[in-house]
Amino acid sequence: MKPEVGKLLEIISGKLLFEIAPTVQPAYRQQSVGLTAMLLGMVREEWDRAAARRVEENAALRAIFGQAAPRIADAGLRGRLEAAAASCDASFLVSELEKSNDALRALLIELQAHVEAESAAWARGVEDEIWRELAKSTERRRFSLAPF
Amino acid sequence: MQDLAPRISAYAAHKLPHAHDVVASDVDRIHGGASRETYRFKLRFREGEREFERRLILRRDPPGSLIETDRAAEFAAYRAFHGSAVPVPEAVWLESDPKWLDHPFFVMEELSGFEASPQAIIAPPYSAHAERTAREKWTILGAIAAADPDKLGVVGLLPAPALPADAWGRELDHWTRVIDEDELAPQPIIRAAIRKLRRAPPPAPKRLHVVHGDYRTGNFLYDKEGGIRGILDWEMAHLGDPLEDLAWSVNRIWCWARDGRVGGLTTKEHAIRVWEAASGLRADPEALRWWELFSSVKAQAIWISGGREYQEGTNKDPVLAFSSIWLTNAQDRCALETLGKLS
Repeated sequence: MKPEVGKLLEIISGKLLFEIAPTVQPAYRQQSVGLTAMLLGMVREEWDRAAARRVEENAALRAIFGQAAPRIADAGLRGRLEAAAASCDASFLVSELEKSNDALRALLIELQAHVEAESAAWARGVEDEIWRELAKSTERRRFSLAPF
Repeated sequence: MQDLAPRISAYAAHKLPHAHDVVASDVDRIHGGASRETYRFKLRFREGEREFERRLILRRDPPGSLIETDRAAEFAAYRAFHGSAVPVPEAVWLESDPKWLDHPFFVMEELSGFEASPQAIIAPPYSAHAERTAREKWTILGAIAAADPDKLGVVGLLPAPALPADAWGRELDHWTRVIDEDELAPQPIIRAAIRKLRRAPPPAPKRLHVVHGDYRTGNFLYDKEGGIRGILDWEMAHLGDPLEDLAWSVNRIWCWARDGRVGGLTTKEHAIRVWEAASGLRADPEALRWWELFSSVKAQAIWISGGREYQEGTNKDPVLAFSSIWLTNAQDRCALETLGKLS
């Protein structure tokens, strides 16, 4: 698609924010236009990385599950972890990647809660690995406009 | 918008039976809190030979919002603190009958000529007075904490736990339920935070205090000399642990200047010292850390809830989508920082 989506959104967002919003009245609508412009700016940022960050994250989560699964005594959870670790992203449509990501992050919550209740040293190792990945996940999702 | 004017006029005439020529005009919607539609308007009327003009604010329940709260509690909080060391606008009318304006609403005095924006406070001319604004901000919060709910007459009007020891549980249960109901995607960081909070609850406060519930830069009016002229947005007011408000006020998400100054105003340590001096209470560091982590859970629940409202189309105000997208990840980072897990 040309002009490129990123460029398109950059231009539309800038026009809304700097040219159109200042002419809009009343103030409430003006603010709404400004917010919409900034929303488009964030959509632009997300557009470029949308597939990449999900592919990267899904792979990282599967790796954690693959390492943790042999240690998990609960057969049901172990089975789900093994199945998830063996899965792959068959489609790179963002909507499909997102479905996988949601399922994998739901399973991550289950695994994290499970290892928190384990006192063995291996559980601390898994827990540390999960926290490292969660910190990375916030970097992948970070917006340049964000206050923190 | 102007179609509201005759309906407001009719309502005001109903509330002012001795007045005549009651006319509402200049109805203008403004951004004012995320839980209700907010409008400013002028009300003119005559009583006998005397003419009156009042600038008022209308806060009306919307079909969907960031925060689902009871307007009666918000109204009670304004009424309780009016005329006290905690500056608030006068609460005028509370109306639950939707026949007047389609939804329940309340009316309060407009404090005009002041600024509320968190972006303006970090820029000239206001930024030159950050020290004064900070001192007033946390002194007023201390005054809220020091207030006696019985003497204020808010017991029974503000939501409250049965006992001080139940304060943390009531809040955590409530906001966890919001996340359970509204999340659009799994939230591993906030779920881990919730589990940690449940494993190690904070000590109970000695008594129940008034908690504003959303005390932050952006929710008060300030003047060009750095003075705070009105504390707004009491829609989440309740009785509970005063550390909840202090923790919320210093949450990293409100560091608008992106330089670590809480609320864009001062250091966290200074804010706590001012609050302790004004409230006569001590902010136990461990207990405060519990409430800081809780504040990220609560804030995340609010961003998530707004995102759902927008996604489902029950409220298409872009502020809901913007807050949800802009702040959800940043809030996760705040939680990670409080947990000591931010790399």
